[in-house]
Amino acid sequence: MNTARSARRRLAGILMVLAGLLLLAPAAGAGGDDLEDQMRAVASGLRCPVCQNLSVADSTSELALEMRALIRDQLRAGKRPDEIRAYFVSKYGEWILLSPTPRGVGLLAWVLPGLGALAGLGGAAWTLRRWSRRSAPPPDVPVPGAALARIRTAVAGGDLPGTLSAEELRHVEALQELELDHHAGKLSDRDYAELRALYEARAAAALLSSETPRRRAPAEGGPVPRHAPGRRGPSPRVWRWVASGVFLLGFGMAVGFFLSGAVRARDEGGSITGDALTGTGDAAARTDSLDLRTLLERGRQAMDGQDLRRAIDFFTRALERDPEEPTAHASLGLILQRGGHPDKALKAFDRALAREPSLPQALWGKGLVLHESMGRTAEAIRAWETLLAQDLSREDRERVTAMVAEARARIAGRTSPAENVAPVTR
Amino acid sequence: MAWKRLLLVFGIGAPLIAVLAFGFTRDPREIASPLIGRQAPPFDVRLADGRALALADLRGRVVFLNFWASWCPPCRAEARALEASWRRHREQEVVFLGVNMQDREDAAREFLREFGITYANGLDGGNRIAIDYGVWGIPETFILDRTGRITYKHVGALGGETIHAKLEEALRGEVSRLEGKGEYRSIR
Repeated sequence: MNTARSARRRLAGILMVLAGLLLLAPAAGAGGDDLEDQMRAVASGLRCPVCQNLSVADSTSELALEMRALIRDQLRAGKRPDEIRAYFVSKYGEWILLSPTPRGVGLLAWVLPGLGALAGLGGAAWTLRRWSRRSAPPPDVPVPGAALARIRTAVAGGDLPGTLSAEELRHVEALQELELDHHAGKLSDRDYAELRALYEARAAAALLSSETPRRRAPAEGGPVPRHAPGRRGPSPRVWRWVASGVFLLGFGMAVGFFLSGAVRARDEGGSITGDALTGTGDAAARTDSLDLRTLLERGRQAMDGQDLRRAIDFFTRALERDPEEPTAHASLGLILQRGGHPDKALKAFDRALAREPSLPQALWGKGLVLHESMGRTAEAIRAWETLLAQDLSREDRERVTAMVAEARARIAGRTSPAENVAPVTR
Repeated sequence: MAWKRLLLVFGIGAPLIAVLAFGFTRDPREIASPLIGRQAPPFDVRLADGRALALADLRGRVVFLNFWASWCPPCRAEARALEASWRRHREQEVVFLGVNMQDREDAAREFLREFGITYANGLDGGNRIAIDYGVWGIPETFILDRTGRITYKHVGALGGETIHAKLEEALRGEVSRLEGKGEYRSIR
């Protein structure tokens, strides 16, 4: 008991030292005179809003970079670190603090780990004590001499196994094994005596309980027969069933409730829950099994849904099947054009047109690149006029005609919408 | 014994599962804004046409404040709806103001031209305005009532009907308790 108390005291000491270190660490960090050190001290306590589990100090994202610059500016302006932290909290909420303030729900984050550790230690201590108690010699239970004698005969091999129940047989075998171990020198005399007394007591108890036949509910194989007093009300077993039923019902209802809200039709290759639950983007689309036509169709759908990354993926896969697929080239061209790569886009359109000289998508895109990004308006008009020579929907025709008219006007007046906006340099 | 086990299951297991299940329903990236219902942070911004604009000058009108970037697909998705809503509401006491962030200026201008945007757009060079509004995803939209109070915040692409409904609420001075959410991209 004494050792346990001193161990407890030592543990408390260690915990206090650790807590002290934790409290002192940020203070020591903020103590640096250097502006950069102070900035880092503040930034390392803030959560980067666009990363997973990185501080503003550690993140390389553009936003974190700007936040660090902001902190630096504010420090220069004479703001205190806690004022700066308060500023970020007022914009992003408590979420932005890597260590929540010990108030309200945030207090849980500070208290629960300690409580958990205490509970774990307590649980471990309790379990250890129970184990040590269990291995101690059993309390003296009066073992009827007759039963004991019968067991000893059985162990010595005098009793036929057939007359023993399975449980009794088990005890007898354990005793025989114990004796063998003792003979082989694996057990000390003291241990042997202790264990033998224990096993014999158990075996005798088993013998007794089998002799007083099944009037009781079968008890779990305890060493001493339980003389359970008559109970009132339903037995614990009924309660167990009821509780399990209630739990299963609740669980089923919860599953039904959450699943119906969370599961939705998923697109090819997407995860079951998708971003509805986890907030993560869809998994890389599994496109290996799709044929060319489906790939193109999916790519077009992704483009319509503004999911350009997936669209690129589908079209690239399509080009792996057929390196000169015109629609894929033209669609990639449109994406490249949007992404600000006019020269690559133009190449893509030209590849598409090489295979299919009248592909509307490619003609339209080529005109767009030439007109908007390269200033080669005359060539753009030529591409669009080829397009207009084809069978187009009324809406498309109007759009192309309008673009051609605008391009002509630009050639005539050399004014473009872009030039109406006053150029401003950063 | 049975009671102990039951206690273990219901006292520890069930709450633990409940907490984990609740965690799965949350988007860990989502940051609830503390700004809703408060006065909008003031700012001055340089517009794409070279003029300067102060938010304070817009007091007395409902402001539709939209943070966007040309590289963000949901921003492209909502661009036409925003322009259409602007045309629909410009006769009312409503101002649309876009704030371009984390972007190249030429790309931003290209975006404005591509979608034929006619409402005012500011260029937030250092992203200080965005940080001041606690922006973390893009697009993000704030609606301010006539007194300059934030009545609604939406993360992600917006549709015309939502814009209309929320502008009407702001014109009446009603504050939405909940943030809206559409498809968004995390900013960089």
